[in-house]
Amino acid sequence: MTKPSPDTPPPLLVLKVQQPADMPDRGLTLDADAVVIGSGAGGAVAAYELCRAGAKVVVLEAGPYVKSQQFTERLIDALQTLYEEGGNQVNKSGDLVVLQGKCLGGSTVINAAVCFRAPDKVLEAWGEDHGLEDLSPEVMAPYFDKVEKNLRIHPNGPHEINLNGRLIMQGAKNVGIPTAPVSRNIEHCALTGHCLSGCKTDRKQSMLVTYLPWASELGATILSGTRAETFEVTNGRVTQVNAVATDANGNTKPVVVKAGLVVVAAGAVQTPLLFQKNAIGNSSGLVGHNFACHPSTAMIAVHKDDVYGWLGATITTYAGNIEDPKEGSFLLEAGFLGPMSLTTASDGGVGREYIDFIQKSNKFLAAVTLIHDHNVGRVYMENGRKRIDYDLDDRDFPSLQEAFRNAAKIYFAAGAERVFLPTTRRTMIESPDQIDSVINSLENGKHRYKLTSYHPQGTMRMGKDPKKSVVGPDGRMHDLDNVYVVDASLFPTTLLVNPQETIYAMASYLSDRMLARA
Amino acid sequence: MFERFAEVYIPTEGTNLKPLSEVPYLDNIDRVLAFLDAPTLDEFHTGMKLFDYGSVVVGFYFARFANLSPENRLEYIHRWDGAGETQRAIVGLIEKLVAVGYWQDVEAARRVGYQGPVSDEARILKLGNAPMPIAMAEEIEAP
Repeated sequence: MTKPSPDTPPPLLVLKVQQPADMPDRGLTLDADAVVIGSGAGGAVAAYELCRAGAKVVVLEAGPYVKSQQFTERLIDALQTLYEEGGNQVNKSGDLVVLQGKCLGGSTVINAAVCFRAPDKVLEAWGEDHGLEDLSPEVMAPYFDKVEKNLRIHPNGPHEINLNGRLIMQGAKNVGIPTAPVSRNIEHCALTGHCLSGCKTDRKQSMLVTYLPWASELGATILSGTRAETFEVTNGRVTQVNAVATDANGNTKPVVVKAGLVVVAAGAVQTPLLFQKNAIGNSSGLVGHNFACHPSTAMIAVHKDDVYGWLGATITTYAGNIEDPKEGSFLLEAGFLGPMSLTTASDGGVGREYIDFIQKSNKFLAAVTLIHDHNVGRVYMENGRKRIDYDLDDRDFPSLQEAFRNAAKIYFAAGAERVFLPTTRRTMIESPDQIDSVINSLENGKHRYKLTSYHPQGTMRMGKDPKKSVVGPDGRMHDLDNVYVVDASLFPTTLLVNPQETIYAMASYLSDRMLARA
Repeated sequence: MFERFAEVYIPTEGTNLKPLSEVPYLDNIDRVLAFLDAPTLDEFHTGMKLFDYGSVVVGFYFARFANLSPENRLEYIHRWDGAGETQRAIVGLIEKLVAVGYWQDVEAARRVGYQGPVSDEARILKLGNAPMPIAMAEEIEAP
């Protein structure tokens, strides 16, 4: 494989995208072998794999096509141009921000590039509990190998790990918690720390610079700003997808795609809403149920020395037992953004307290916490409004406490002088001997913690039993003969680790199942 | 109301921070609010009114928040921070909006050491789209 280097000009592969403004006023009617709804981790991989097998593919992406040269490296701009609801998508209670990409390439454009394989124990549990023996670690291994090779997924090297990451790794080692560099899908990282605003120099191997241009090169028709709305169904098969293309001025044009195969990869929030809206595929009554999301927080500590945690790669190292996720499992990922994110993720106080807090930010250690939460949520429409009904379950609260407890231990072992908890009312731990008393005094409840989800999952559960799941083991919906789902909504349980690599690998595996049946 | 809130939440006077008066944080907040749908915006306005007029009874200040002294504004914010779910939600949202409005100013963020946008200034080369994978010996046998 030819590797680009910073000293050679960019390759000439072109991503061809038809945007709403380019479409005729009467709209478009297209015939294809397959229509793929969504262009993120699942949709882009499926589109490429189907094209590679010779299929005529149309990709429908609801979000805009934003070229990387338009990225500004300002998070607020990115939220407004690349994220669902301008970054304001929240749960029904309003205390959990659910971040998702809404642009060509989906969340892969705005994630931190962190890659983990699904833990073997999780895949084995899916086999035992949900009849997904076909997704065993042995079967999935070559698919993980393949996407790792295609997306240059590799562990961070020493030059990609900043002081924040090194200190957290050292602290974890000091207290006996497994720790290592994270792997990322990135090539020659420029270490700007702007992953969440989109990679301006195309180092992150998002779908925008990999599988989508590859699919395009193989003939895929890619439409941005085009939202799939309704399905025509005949004899248990979707024969036509009706979509609406909307340009920057709000003008709409109809887009009709007739295809023998329909692949839905709109993400764990939008995919179930599409089927609910069409009132199909839901004989189990489970479409939209079993939502989970790895509710995350940012843990901050003041170190005795300058750290400048925002310099360098966005996420560098991790700590936690990720081999066997179970009750109480947590994952800490060393990483930091600028003062805007810092303030929204942690309570630095008000007035002079706040000024004192923010002026110490160059000394902050920071890590994101993830937990292996239960699938207790639901996504649905209510009076025309999207609802994500999810509150941190009491069964998951001890996991959050464990994440806090272990992060605090790591921070103090790494030289921290004070730890800030991600509570909505300022809570600090001043010394190691306070850790247990402070953490044990915390209670679960709405608007008590500053929660963000980067990983919505689980709303189109995959399983063998049509009464207990929506999608079968081959990715095909139990109720619809030619409709496949290939995004994180499939996951019967959460992974604990970042899901993007598992979505890539599953989309690759499920594409083979589609082709085998064709 | 947001101006009165920001004055006590981020009191930049006498610090090395960029003065509030030089940051268009209210315009920035408006940009964020522009993404809310109409029902959510209605709920937002209701919440803001509750906060602004709540000080007439909560704490018995007998005046709108916007008309309180800086000391009373600070005290009132602390009351809401430590109150029930709805009050915590409202004051948390205002704090978040003010912080977002202030810190998205690049120069304000640089005053605390955050470098902000860097690729253009540093003229970091774009890599462009990745080359097609070589039809890897990537065919995987069906399970």
